[in-house]
Amino acid sequence: MKARPTKTTRPGSGSAAAQVLARKNNVVVALALRAFRDAQIRTVAFGYLFAVFSYIQPVGYRHTYPTRGDRLAFARSFAENTGLRLMYGQPNDIVTVGGYTAWRVGGVLAIVAAAFGLFAAVRALRAEEDSGRTEIVLAAMVGRRAAAIAALAAIAAGALLLWLAEFAGFLVGGLPTPGAAYLALATASVAPVFVGVGALASQLAPTRRGALGVGGAVLGLLFTLRVVADTVPGAGWLRWSTPLGWAELLHPFAGPQPLVLVLPAGATVLLLVVSTSLAAQRDIGTGMWPAHDSADPHPRLLRTPAGHALRNQRGTLISWIIAVGVLMFVLGGVSQAISPADIPANTRTEIAKLGAGSITTPIGYFAFVFLFVSVAVSAFACAQIGAARQEEADQQLETLLAEPISRTRWLSGRMLLAAAGVAALSLTAGLLGWAGARVAGAPIALFKMLEAGANAIPIALLFLGLTALAYALAPRASGVIGYALLAVALLWHVAGSLIGPPRWILDLTPFAHVGLVPAHPVHIAGSAVVTGIALLAGVAALAAFRRRDLAAG
Amino acid sequence: MDAIYAQGLSKLYGEAVAIEDLDLRIGEGEVYAYLGPNGAGKTTTIRLLLGLHRPTAGRAQLFGVDAWSDPVAAHRRIAYVAGEPSLWPSLTSGETLEFLARLHGGTDMAYRDLLVDRFELDVRKKVRALSKGNRQKVQLIAALATRADLLILDEPTSGLDPLMEMAFRECALEAKARGQTIFLSSHILSEVEALCDRVGILRGGRLVDQGTLAQLRHLRAQTVDVTFAGPAPKLPTLRGVHMHTTAPNALRFEVTGGVGPVIAVLAGHPVATLTSREPSLEEIFVRHYRDSGGVTLNESAAD
Repeated sequence: MKARPTKTTRPGSGSAAAQVLARKNNVVVALALRAFRDAQIRTVAFGYLFAVFSYIQPVGYRHTYPTRGDRLAFARSFAENTGLRLMYGQPNDIVTVGGYTAWRVGGVLAIVAAAFGLFAAVRALRAEEDSGRTEIVLAAMVGRRAAAIAALAAIAAGALLLWLAEFAGFLVGGLPTPGAAYLALATASVAPVFVGVGALASQLAPTRRGALGVGGAVLGLLFTLRVVADTVPGAGWLRWSTPLGWAELLHPFAGPQPLVLVLPAGATVLLLVVSTSLAAQRDIGTGMWPAHDSADPHPRLLRTPAGHALRNQRGTLISWIIAVGVLMFVLGGVSQAISPADIPANTRTEIAKLGAGSITTPIGYFAFVFLFVSVAVSAFACAQIGAARQEEADQQLETLLAEPISRTRWLSGRMLLAAAGVAALSLTAGLLGWAGARVAGAPIALFKMLEAGANAIPIALLFLGLTALAYALAPRASGVIGYALLAVALLWHVAGSLIGPPRWILDLTPFAHVGLVPAHPVHIAGSAVVTGIALLAGVAALAAFRRRDLAAG
Repeated sequence: MDAIYAQGLSKLYGEAVAIEDLDLRIGEGEVYAYLGPNGAGKTTTIRLLLGLHRPTAGRAQLFGVDAWSDPVAAHRRIAYVAGEPSLWPSLTSGETLEFLARLHGGTDMAYRDLLVDRFELDVRKKVRALSKGNRQKVQLIAALATRADLLILDEPTSGLDPLMEMAFRECALEAKARGQTIFLSSHILSEVEALCDRVGILRGGRLVDQGTLAQLRHLRAQTVDVTFAGPAPKLPTLRGVHMHTTAPNALRFEVTGGVGPVIAVLAGHPVATLTSREPSLEEIFVRHYRDSGGVTLNESAAD
């Protein structure tokens, strides 16, 4: 943020100028507080995730590898495992609790922090404007710069909370204070850069959706760069090209390089300066890219509520398919680097405990990857119900249901559309994973990969059904409930297997019941039961939705 | 059969009473204005009539079909214009009309094209780029083009310019002439006077008055303004007459019932001018909106 040129105060006007300045500061503070409160639930949810995830890892590591010998064996087997590197990044010094934690937590939470920054910035700098609220604020003697500073201050406060949550998680998990603070800083350093990316995208694209699309594509690209840097031999220098790589280059717990912090700080400042100067040039309510406000009619899909929903969600679905497809192609491509060589048998069992079977073979690696595919596809399902909820909140549903259309028909159409999207995404994941492996010369049967993709469907349907039920019962809270269920189930599965509670506790998550395909065969019975529960939840959702008042806003 | 029939209709949101014990009977072909201050429960009533919200007690029927338990059948013969013109931002207005026509079925496409011309709607524009008034037009055209037996209109002209408001009035009169029933929630009293057969006034969730405009007027005070050649005389207080001084030489009488007693006491005083007028709709409303209750018309008078 550029500092405002210092005001020249003439003698005698000093107190008046001070008053103006004070009033201005009050306005900025009031706006920032408002923005912070609006984002409260999201910030708390992210903070919770940061705290729990960073607490579990050091505790789990100590539990699973109590002695130095265990840890050395573990390090040997893991250090060169391409599959794990891809997910978690480059391991440094993972025979210590700190090093291991940095490796397991840093890579994953850095991506989450990036998503946080992107969403928060687009929300504050584009969605607010899209909805017309910015206009109201700017009409009230608030300058654009002050409004932007207030919005960014609120996001900064949110990011600070995430840093604190992660730091606290590490401390309670038993990491030393300075190291914990530095590791949390390395992770959180990604957030401001993506706030900058989101701010810039918000200046370019005229709609919220467009800005999120641009920002999401940038995040995808930068993640892919990090994956290549961490997995392809000789490409390590690529780490310098991506904020996710900078977080690794900070080397928490393994010879820290705090000077690298200059990179995220510089990038953030640059992005924010560019976007504020763009913001100062353009008209409110527009983007630098022209909006297409007129169009020829395309009424083909507009015959039924479901067709209409498909048309509205088409862009979203296509972006998801492209993102999952590209990622799976890359992940498939590196599968050939995975080999079971030199891994002691006892370590293998420990690895298996990580919750995704043996990751030491290409096929085990794919089983691990498809666990995350099922999580991503489930998140897509939750988002589809979220879009349906948004239609109700914006009162468009009222117009639709005043037509001779039953609620059951509308909601079941939305659920079927989401289910079809889930199937398309899951099979795309299988197909592109197969294609990537094939191109890289590590062939695996197409059928196996499609089966692995399809295996994600029951889980995603389960979260679809549960989110729909939450939506039918408590529409205003349904968004949070859906994602929270998913996050809890995943943490339960991944962390639970690490800590080693009784089998029946682990069995409470759906992930335990569908089989680690392609490493293991499909659990037909388990998948059928999960699908059955999903159907029951869906039917219950339809029945409950039929009985409640529509809820606007 | 009544187009709209509500009996003992009540809606509570938690502790808050939105609608209490509402009885409505609106016959086919009738144009009914539903009036009341903001927050009186007009939109809640409409949501109950449409089966979008569930009645806490009582029932609502459209053409004899229960609005809550069988909304699809109830909606076949109606069209609705929402108070908040929130449509799908990514569709063009033409696509929106197409979509809503498909959902409703039986839309008169030729009439719709005529309406598009009459309301000067740009069908190529996306909804997100439309002003509030233009979004309102999209809703209105979609509803009118169905030629539905019952039009439920929640402040249909909010945001329209005066020319478009006139176009709406013409269309509504045409619909009325064709025998369509209209349930109109509105704050624009000239619109109500021009279109409506009967008026219901809602206040705090209760129907406080109902009747034809003529009936409402008759039971309300007439205003008699009198100016005198000299200073206004001191007059005795009369039952049913509220008197106040408007100028040193002028008096105003608000009279309920006949004006005979006023004329009688004025006799012998130097009256210069005397004008008498019925209350305007606006005065009736202002009184209803401000006062708590007031004289209520007999329900039978409206039938």
